[in-house]
Amino acid sequence: MVRYGGVTAVAGVSFTVDRGEHVTLLGPSGCGKTTTLRAIAGLEEPSSGAIRIDGQTMYSSTDRRNIPSEKRGVSMVFQSYAVWPHMTVFDNVAYGLRVRKLPRAEVAANVDRALGLVQMREFASRPASNLSGGQQQRVALARAVAFSPTVVLFDEPLSNLDAKLRAEMRVELRELQRRLDITSVYVTHDQEEALAISDRVIVMYNGGIEQIGSPEAIYNRPKSRFVADFVGSANLIGGRLKSAPNGPGPVLFETEGGVTLQAQATHPPRGDENWVAVRTAYIDLAAGSPNGATNIAPGNIRQRLFHGDFIQYIVDWPAGQLIVRRPPTEMFEEGATVAISFAAEHCVLLEA
Amino acid sequence: MRPAEIAPHPDPLRAMRERGNRAGSARWLRVPPFSAQAIVTLLILLVCGGLVVYPVVFLVEAALNTGDPQEFPLQEWGLANFAALGEDWHILANTALVACMATVMAVTFGFVVAWILTRTRVPGGARLERLMELPYYMTPLVGALAWAILASPRTGALNQVWHAVGGGGDLFDIYSPFGIAWVMALFEGTVAFVMISAAMKSMDPSLEETSRVLGAGKLRTVIKITLPLVMPGVLGATIFVFAEMLGSFAAAYVLGIPGRYYVITTAIWQATTSYPPDFGRAAAMGISLFAVMLVTLTIYRLIVRRGNYATITGKAFRPRAMEVGRAAWILLAVCWAYILVAVVLPMMALLLTSFQRFATVIVDQMQFTLANYENAVRFAAVRSALVNSLVLGFGVASIGVLVMTVLVWIIYRSRAPGHGLIEYVAMFPQAVPRLVFGLALLWAWLNIPIPIYGTLWLLALAYFTVLMPLGVRTLAGVMLQIDKSLEECARVCGASWGYQLRTVTMPLLRPGIVAAWLLLFIASVRELGVSIFLVGPNAQVIAPSIASAWLSSSTELSTALAIIQTSVVFIALAILFRAARRFTGELR
Repeated sequence: MVRYGGVTAVAGVSFTVDRGEHVTLLGPSGCGKTTTLRAIAGLEEPSSGAIRIDGQTMYSSTDRRNIPSEKRGVSMVFQSYAVWPHMTVFDNVAYGLRVRKLPRAEVAANVDRALGLVQMREFASRPASNLSGGQQQRVALARAVAFSPTVVLFDEPLSNLDAKLRAEMRVELRELQRRLDITSVYVTHDQEEALAISDRVIVMYNGGIEQIGSPEAIYNRPKSRFVADFVGSANLIGGRLKSAPNGPGPVLFETEGGVTLQAQATHPPRGDENWVAVRTAYIDLAAGSPNGATNIAPGNIRQRLFHGDFIQYIVDWPAGQLIVRRPPTEMFEEGATVAISFAAEHCVLLEA
Repeated sequence: MRPAEIAPHPDPLRAMRERGNRAGSARWLRVPPFSAQAIVTLLILLVCGGLVVYPVVFLVEAALNTGDPQEFPLQEWGLANFAALGEDWHILANTALVACMATVMAVTFGFVVAWILTRTRVPGGARLERLMELPYYMTPLVGALAWAILASPRTGALNQVWHAVGGGGDLFDIYSPFGIAWVMALFEGTVAFVMISAAMKSMDPSLEETSRVLGAGKLRTVIKITLPLVMPGVLGATIFVFAEMLGSFAAAYVLGIPGRYYVITTAIWQATTSYPPDFGRAAAMGISLFAVMLVTLTIYRLIVRRGNYATITGKAFRPRAMEVGRAAWILLAVCWAYILVAVVLPMMALLLTSFQRFATVIVDQMQFTLANYENAVRFAAVRSALVNSLVLGFGVASIGVLVMTVLVWIIYRSRAPGHGLIEYVAMFPQAVPRLVFGLALLWAWLNIPIPIYGTLWLLALAYFTVLMPLGVRTLAGVMLQIDKSLEECARVCGASWGYQLRTVTMPLLRPGIVAAWLLLFIASVRELGVSIFLVGPNAQVIAPSIASAWLSSSTELSTALAIIQTSVVFIALAILFRAARRFTGELR
């Protein structure tokens, strides 16, 4: 738990990262994800709880123990890169090695290796002040991995890059993680980024954890309205539970418009759940009546927005409106009548 | 980067207000009690706190002492010294009169010139802006000397010219309340110009542009939009300058004492140096002056805070200058007229006098000589004053900058216990009139068993104490621009606090450190208010020597010294401007 004065920024956040695992803290700004990361780095002091790295207690409120940043053996890539403008690229990357008083030859070898990893070898003697954003990002990355830290922390490292470069760096970062087999904790508010590069995603909201799971699990089986809405795009359909089994599994859900849907519960339902979520990409539209599909309902295309990679339809149906995304190969005219259908497993019952 | 001495953030308490804004984002972990950081914080707090608080305690003690002035601790005490101020009502009236006149003049000059240079398109505006700051660095002491030569009754150069063209009587008598205010406005009122032009510069031009787009004409826009937006800035400058003028000493000292025209600062000086010295009276006056200034500055803060709404957004704008066509030449002439009376004429008067055997402005009586400069180097007392000033300048600037860098780091980045208090301690001397602080230091160090009074060590300590706000402000300006994650990154990489300060913070602060060093050097070399109380036979410095040479009627020697002091200051200033330009280039 981290408190600032009377304000509790983060509370009840508890998770474990396995060796070699890449975990992402995902959430909107102000959800406490950066605070959590900085607490791991030792840049914030929690008011209660414990932080352990590699079996060693870094912070513990009960033991009154707080290891300072520089002794935690972690490293961090900052949002602003924090590349020191008064040093060369080489000096930047060598910093962590020199602090540890490594022999000169070893420093040079490690820096060379780290710069090689990010393809910046030929920039070694350049002053760091005149590098482009992408290059600074690479230097920050090389600096973070050069001294073989136990954990690398990433604080929204790609948020200052333009969209194209961000997509490229995402691929490189994933590649680097695999090659170095590093343990990392990554913070971002970009859900696409989080899904693409993580082994596990922790969705945070209002200083607490909403859901922990693999990217696929988070996307396909969101637990709460917040996760369904924040990660990917989903239709939230209100109504009430018709049948409530004891364990997770198929349930029947009646929408406000009186449509009965076959849905999936990922948790033992309590009975008072009143929302299901359907991903916009998982809804099929057909001109005629689809064969063998579940959750079939008539609909009417109200609006069509052509996005290029997909087409977004707003469809009127008995339970209100649905947003549906289809590949550009499936074209329907505005005003056309369609049959809506989606699989029961994609209609997820959300926790109350 | 602007030389910080003439107040880019002239509000001494501003840094404290900014703390509120920082609290949200700037966080640093709590510091364990026995770390290097905690120990250094405590040490700095004790030393600086001692340097600041100790003299003030003595000042209060002296003011309350109604018994034997040599008695310490107090035997009899009361408010008799304060009650006695009522008898000095004419001094208070003089002070108010001079301060009001000086403030009105300073704000008028400042407003007109600031408006011309920031809001209209005049040729060479940027260069002129720099020149406008020169009078401040010349110091009111030197300015008063120069204007005494220019405008003494009968013998002054301007009055001579007036007689020559057939004018009757004197055009201008500098030994008058108006003369004192005139010199104060020219040489101390620069703050008004800097503050008002800062307010005008920080105004979002789109506010004016919107008015134009919506159909208002140039004049309407100025009256309805520009003026109301700038008004809080002008009002703030007026009050701030008024507080400065209340505590101003040099001009009244040079121009008031000969005619026995006293303002509060010169009365304090008089009470201390007359025989027998009346420390109680001086201290009571000093504390009253301090209290009035504090109230004034508090009003200033309230106004500036309320006025913050639109003009000060924190962004730097390049305001769209107004096309003025041919009027540009008239406006330019106004600016140059100011430079003429505040820089060119005074410097010419000083130069001319310093090269003469006997000071005169009558051309056919002039005898030119280098003797005054030779004397300045030959007379042991004068030479040692010159050398001491330079030594103090180098010493105080070098050691001061080191200590103040750590101080600023602790104020802005540390969460060690007591870091907030350090800020108050460091900024406190700014709120005390320099002369009053000098008196407090004198009284405090006279009464301490350490034999430091009358040595350069005391002067060095005193300079460090009173210049702390200047150094801290200058360094803070740069520190706040350094992204905190640059330092955090060093810690995460494994660097200890000291290693991080040495390898990351100090190098990044270099522009601030260079600027702070030069400003501290300049401020030391020109220091008068504190020095005048603390110099002794074996510890002379230049500014009091200039004043005493003048008052003992060696006009020529004093002008030579004034020229030397001004040259040293201007050289340091030229280096500062050059360095500032290089660093701003580097940052882009």
